[in-house]
Formats: sequence, C-alpha cells, structure tokens
Amino acid sequence: MTEASTIRPGVGVPPADDVLLDVRHLKTYFKVMDGTVPAVDDISFSLKRGQTLGIVGESGSGKSVTALTIMRLLDIPPAEIGKESEAWFDGREVLGLPEGEMRRIRGNDMAMIFQEPLTSLNPVFTVGDQIAEQVQLHMKVKERESRDRAVEMLRLVGIPSPERRAKQYPHELSGGMRQRVMIGMALSCDPKLIIADEPTTALDVTVQAQIMELLRAIQERTGAALLLITHDLGVIAEMVENVIVMYAGQIVEQGTVEQVLLEPRMPYTMGLIESIPTVEKRGGRLSAISGVVPSPFHLPPNCRFEPRCPYRWETCRTVTPALYDAGDGRLSRCHLHLVEATARREAAIAAHDDNMRMGRRLTGAPDRIGNA
Amino acid sequence: MTTTTGAAPVAEPEVRRRLRRLPPPAIRNGRALLLFIGGFGLTALFVVALGLVIGVKGAIAIIPWVAAITIPIAVVCWGLVRLTRNRQKWTLALVLLTDGAFIAILGYLIVTMSSRMGNPDATFFAQLILAFPFFVALASFWHFARGARWFDGTRESRLRPEESGARPITAALTMVPDTAPAAAVTITAPVPLGVEVLAGAAPPAPAPVAAVRPLLTVQGLKKHFPIYGGVLRRQIGTVFAVDGVDFEIMPGETFALVGESGCGKTTLGRTVIQLTPSTAGRVVFDGYELADVDPEDMRPLRRRMQIIFQDPFGSLNPRMPISDIIGEGLLAQGLTDRKARDGRVEDALELVGLRREYTRRYPHEFSGGQRQRIGVARALALGPDFIVADEPVSALDVSIQSQVLNLLLDLKRDLKLTYLFISHNLSVVQYFSDRVGVMYLGKIVEIGTVEQLYANPRHPYTVALLSAIPEADPRHRRKRLVLKGDVPSPAAPPAGCRFHTRCWLRERLGNPEDCSTVEPQLQVFGEEGHRVACHHAENLSQATVAQAAAEAPAVVAAAVEVE
Repeated sequence: MTEASTIRPGVGVPPADDVLLDVRHLKTYFKVMDGTVPAVDDISFSLKRGQTLGIVGESGSGKSVTALTIMRLLDIPPAEIGKESEAWFDGREVLGLPEGEMRRIRGNDMAMIFQEPLTSLNPVFTVGDQIAEQVQLHMKVKERESRDRAVEMLRLVGIPSPERRAKQYPHELSGGMRQRVMIGMALSCDPKLIIADEPTTALDVTVQAQIMELLRAIQERTGAALLLITHDLGVIAEMVENVIVMYAGQIVEQGTVEQVLLEPRMPYTMGLIESIPTVEKRGGRLSAISGVVPSPFHLPPNCRFEPRCPYRWETCRTVTPALYDAGDGRLSRCHLHLVEATARREAAIAAHDDNMRMGRRLTGAPDRIGNA
Repeated sequence: MTTTTGAAPVAEPEVRRRLRRLPPPAIRNGRALLLFIGGFGLTALFVVALGLVIGVKGAIAIIPWVAAITIPIAVVCWGLVRLTRNRQKWTLALVLLTDGAFIAILGYLIVTMSSRMGNPDATFFAQLILAFPFFVALASFWHFARGARWFDGTRESRLRPEESGARPITAALTMVPDTAPAAAVTITAPVPLGVEVLAGAAPPAPAPVAAVRPLLTVQGLKKHFPIYGGVLRRQIGTVFAVDGVDFEIMPGETFALVGESGCGKTTLGRTVIQLTPSTAGRVVFDGYELADVDPEDMRPLRRRMQIIFQDPFGSLNPRMPISDIIGEGLLAQGLTDRKARDGRVEDALELVGLRREYTRRYPHEFSGGQRQRIGVARALALGPDFIVADEPVSALDVSIQSQVLNLLLDLKRDLKLTYLFISHNLSVVQYFSDRVGVMYLGKIVEIGTVEQLYANPRHPYTVALLSAIPEADPRHRRKRLVLKGDVPSPAAPPAGCRFHTRCWLRERLGNPEDCSTVEPQLQVFGEEGHRVACHHAENLSQATVAQAAAEAPAVVAAAVEVE
C-alpha cells in the first residue's frame, strides 16, 4: 500500500466540489500463477453528493473489485492498481493515501455493506460491541457513549428491542437482522458514501423488500450517496438514479436508470433485460445470451462481448470499441454507435423492442411512486 | 470451448429412445437368489453364510420335512443376515413341506380361507400340495432363464394386484417379507391360494382410474425432524418442517412451490421422492404408495423420479469425472457394462447441449451454467417421468438462468416430463409453471393456477410476496406491502393461522380472534382449483391491498417485529 502512495504524487486535478466520488481510469489487476487477470480495466465514473449509482453485471464482471479497490481493501500483492488510476473521494485522492489516513476515512466517511452478513460479522463479539468498537475508533467518544450510539443505530435500522439485541451474537440473529446490523454499523459514523455490495442477494424476497425500503429511507434521511452493486436488475430499477453496466472488467453502458433499462443501446444490456422471465413471455422461449462470460485469461482481443453478440460484424473482431456517446449523456461501448453502422443500430434497437413487446410493453405513462 | 448455445439442441428421436431403454429393474448386478431344495437344519445355515459371502440377494430353502432344529436355525440365519451390511437387501424364506399335524392345521386354514374366498374345492389344493416342488422348480427355472431375480416381479405384484395374476407361483413366494423372521410362514400347499391371500392383503389398491390420473398425489404429508439436546441427548423439540400438505400433479404439468427460506419447500421436494422418509401422510406416485414400497423395491421407481439440485458447485463430486457423476445412477440401476453406460452418459450430455467428449472431464472445468446442465443430464440419464427441480436456476447469473430455463422447457416438451419446480423467485415461477402452491411454515396457504394466483391472490401472504418482487422497470417503483419481521421458527409455529404474527390483513381487520386460535383449512375460493387457507380471504381485494400499501407505517416501524 505504501508503495502505491509513493507512486502518485497527487496527479490530476481534484473534481468539482459537488462530486463526492470521482474514479478515473481505474485498473485493478491480479497477478496469479497462470498470468495476469485484468479484473477492472479502465473504469471512470463520478458520483455526486447524495446521489445513487448502481453497478450491475454478472459474476466475474469486476463490480465488487471496483468497490474493494476504492475502499482500498484489496491485498497488494496479489492485486495491483494501475499507475494512472485515480479515485477522488471528498476532495482527496484515496488510492495514494497512506494506510493510516485511509483507515480514518474508511468506515467513517466511506462505509461498506457486504453481501454475506454472517461472514462479515465477527462471531465472537456481540453485535453491540462490534458497532461500538467502530464508533469509538472513529468518533473519539467514551465507551458508554459508543454503546448508546450502537443501540441507537440498531433502533434506527428497525431492530426490535435494540437494548437486548445489542447483547446478542451474530448467530442469534436471522439473516435479515444481520443485514440490518451491517447497515447500522455502516451508518454509525454518518458516512458520506455508502457502498452496498449485493446487500439483498442472500435474503428472502420479503426481507429484501424490507432492507431496500430501509436503505432508501436512510439514504434519503441522511443524504449519503449510495453506490449499489448488484446483479439484480429489479433491485437496480428500484433503488438508483444512474447505472453502470459492467462486462468482463469494463463499463459497457452507462446512463440514467430509465435510459439503461428501458432503452438499452448495448447488445449485452439488451440481452440481459430480454432474458428476465416475465408473465408475457409464458409459453415461449426466453431470449438468452448465448455462450458464457469469457475467461479473464483469454479475453477476446477487441470487443469482449463479440463472441456472444448477436449483432456482431467484421469491425467488432478487428477494432477495439471505445465508450461511444450514444446521445443524452449516455455511453455505450459498441460499434453500433459508429456513424457507418446506423442501419445496423436501428435494426438492433428494433429487434430489442420487438423482443420486449412480447414481454413488457414499453408504452404508457410513467407511474413512479417511490423516491421519484 | 463451449457449445452452450441459447437454442437447446433438438432431441434426436434415437437418443430419446435409447434413454428410455434402460435395463429391466430385475437385472441388478447379475445377482439372484439361492435356491436349495432338500436342505434342512444346518444346511440352511451354511447356505445363508455362503450366500452372504458370494453376495447373492437372498435364499429360499424348501425343506421336505420339519425338524425340531429347523426353526432355531432359521432364526440364527435371520440374525446372521441382520448383522451383516446386507440386511436391507436380503430375503430369506424357508418353504417347509411338512407332515402330519402341520398338514392338518394348514388344511383347515386352507379350507376356511378358500371358502371365504368363494372356492371351497379343497381337493384341488390337496393335489397342488403334491405338485408343489415341481412348481417351484419350474418357476425358478423360468425366472433364472430370463435372468430375473426372484422377488422382483413379485413385489410389484404386491403393489399392483391387478398384475399379480400373471405370475402366480412367484407371487405366492412373496408371502415372506424380507424384514420378517425367516420361516415365519410355512407354505405347505396352497399355491394359487397364496396369490389370492396376497391380493387380498395387498396395500390399498391404486385409486380407480379416472379420466386422467394424477402422476403424483400428496396427502397430509408431514416431515418432522427431532431436536436432540441436554445431557442425555433426549428429544427436546420438533421442527415441523412439512406439516400436512396436500396437492396433486398431473402428468405433463409443472407444479411450483414458492415460499421463503425455511418454509419447508425443499424438505417437501425431498420427501416427495423419498430421499427422506416422511413422518406421516401418503405420497402416491403413478399408483404406487411410496411409503409402503420397501427400500429395495424403490429402485425401479427412483429411476422414474429424479431431482436437480440447487447448487451446481456443491452437488457435483469434484473428484469424479463427468462420466461417473452421470453414470452413477445408471450403475445403481444395474447397468454394469461400462461401454453401454458411457454411451448413455454421452446421450444425456448431448440432450442438455454439452459435447459428448466432455465425459472424461471434471466438474471444476465447467462454468456454473454448464455444471447445472450436468446436473440436469444426471437426472435425465435414467429416463425419468418426474423431476423435482429444487431451485435449479437461483445460483446462476441472469443470462445463464434463461439458458437453463429454456433447456428445462425444451426437455419437458420433448421428453414429456412432469416437474415439481421449487423456487423462491416468483417471476421465474410465473414464467415457468402451470400451477403454484405457496408455502409458509410447512403448510400450503394458497394453491391455484398461475393465472389465478398472480392475477387474483387471495391470501395476505401471497399478496405480500407478490408485492415484494422487484421489477426491472424503473417506472414501476411502487409502494410495497412490507411484511414485519422474519419467518417464525418452524420448531415453534404460531398457534392458529401460522401467518397471523406477520399478517397485515389481520391488523387492518382489528386482530380478529380466530386468526390466532383456529387453524384455517384450504378452501375453494372463487374459481375451481383455487384454494386458500385464510379465515378472512373474502375481505381481501385490490382496494384493501392498495390502501394497506399506501398506509404502510414508516419503514422503520414496519420492520419492528411483534414480540
């Protein structure tokens, strides 16, 4: 870690003041016996204060590694962060910070909620102690105060009889309760950024609804920014304003949630959305993306989605696609957005619309009730 | 590297036919019963010991006259068999041809029984007594010539009385159940009578054949697990995992079970195909009462009922090549020929869209989606009619999930399969199945077709489940009906309606008393086949649901569980 900090003497210019997190050209590699795995390959995005951003992708797409890199929770080695990578958080470049300073930010201004609450909580301490420890560490308060704060956090996240629960061990709580404890712990120091990595994946659908409502309410109340990482497009649609779609370590599409989910412009995103089973598709086949995610050791040389893409042509095999501007501030990593491919693009969009018309209808007035 | 394309391969009729063509259940590892005529006393002991050593499946002794030592020796033989590892599989019968008093007593019994059965002609039986050894020898020759094992067909005839007439002699021999002490029955004479006695004593005959008979009928099925604890490891509690479930599955239908984790849906799936024995209740599969079929005879039935497990990483043995993983079931069913087995394994791989040459690979060489296809191939290799699919896609990514769902649908159509589909994902269930049962704490609270259940849910729990599905459409963000707390422990289910501790409808109705005191039964509500277990289902409408969702108390308060 210290090595990394010496490499970067504060390159680049700090972002505007309303930008809480600005990630530029983030690259994370893993050096393993079989070679180098580019887990995250040149990712840039920014998140304004109080906003919500979702990162969606299949397993192995690099979405969790992105979060862990920003949190500086990866072991270096085997992980290695690209030299030109920058991550500006709250006006400071965190990838180059000394570990001691990073520790002050992590858990304090930047908190993380993990997927598996049982493995992320320490089984030999009570949940109250675990929250109190963090509060003591970051807020410089007395032990009693920190305990009160822990109970208060448990109450905030909707745990009944928090005084009693604070004295219990993780195994005594249900999965939903544990995830609430994790959220309570993340919130205990009033963070400016909450990174939630698959916060509801291990939970039942009714408990997932509880946790999503809770996250949303807390995010609205505290004004913290939320970086939500998930593979579930349903959760994305419910929770966030902007979306990044990742595939094989790269951003392949980026835009507002409406743009990405309702009018996707990248064949991978189109395929993902089409493959969701809905009632209208009953009796018919689901449109599936053929093939599997490529092995990180043998990535296709140019477009990484090309071998699975139904719309590919010669250019896709020979030219590496950039993140093209697809209009209205959205980005798409696909040669369909080249001027000479206009006809192909329109055909692809028409095919997608056709596939979806079999499924969800795209017309009709928006009827958002939630946190519109 | 992969051939997994979105379009599942079209099943070749030839492949399908070969899959169907499994060896008859009788030929199992080439082993058969020892038959010895004329032995008695110590001979029996020797033969039993010999049989255990060489690994036959049982022995029959036909003894021309009774000696005082015969019965104790028989008991010792029986004990010997019980002590060995073969005890579940052994059948031991001593057929005693006796003299004097025995004949007199048995003659009396024969006449009484046969007259009760409307056949008073005892002289006929007297002739048969004399012919008996000849009959046995003939029957044994016939069976061994066909390579059949002695007791196979006969078990089936016990199960299916209408077929037993075809094999009268062997049917008579099954009067000795293999769990009973040997020599418990002495057949001195009445061979055809034996058939009739058997027919009369057979377990409940299959239900009268209706227009379409359900492939699977589950009635009052219960599965309880004891909790042991304390110093003496005594039973201190019971987990009511499945607690009285009824449903039927028609041939070719996909029936889905949905519910949260801990509701017992997986246990139910496993109990239905007898992977775990049930505590109470009936499971009738294609006319066979599964609880009454003894373990050995389950084997031909198991071939027809297969399961696909949830976790494609945990359910494949990492040390076995694919040929062994898929071929294990075939081997257990008696296909000992390696070549033939590998051929079938390859056929099964081809059916699920994998390459035939993958047989020598190991599970770690495959991706999650491919592993799940291997799990499907393992189930299909035996040519089943009925498949329990226990969360087959929940461990998979969305794009792979749709590939596997498409595959399951294609196989269902091509191989005429019937599915019991277990899932917590209501969107997948809605897409995939014909009828749905919603489970909560070991009980089905609502059951109906997908159309009935999703368009018009009548149970407050179903309503809440449906409301909780996140939709991948940002325009559909809506107020959810968020349930309080978690599922209560199945070791201490709430009294009355099990859902009453979390029920939003009960709250709106001002906590009526019957919810917490009287257990609601499944009742037909509205359309045919739509049944709901709720006292107040008639108070549930779209309006109440919308109102309840709108009035949902603050999120934090809603999360507080009632204690």
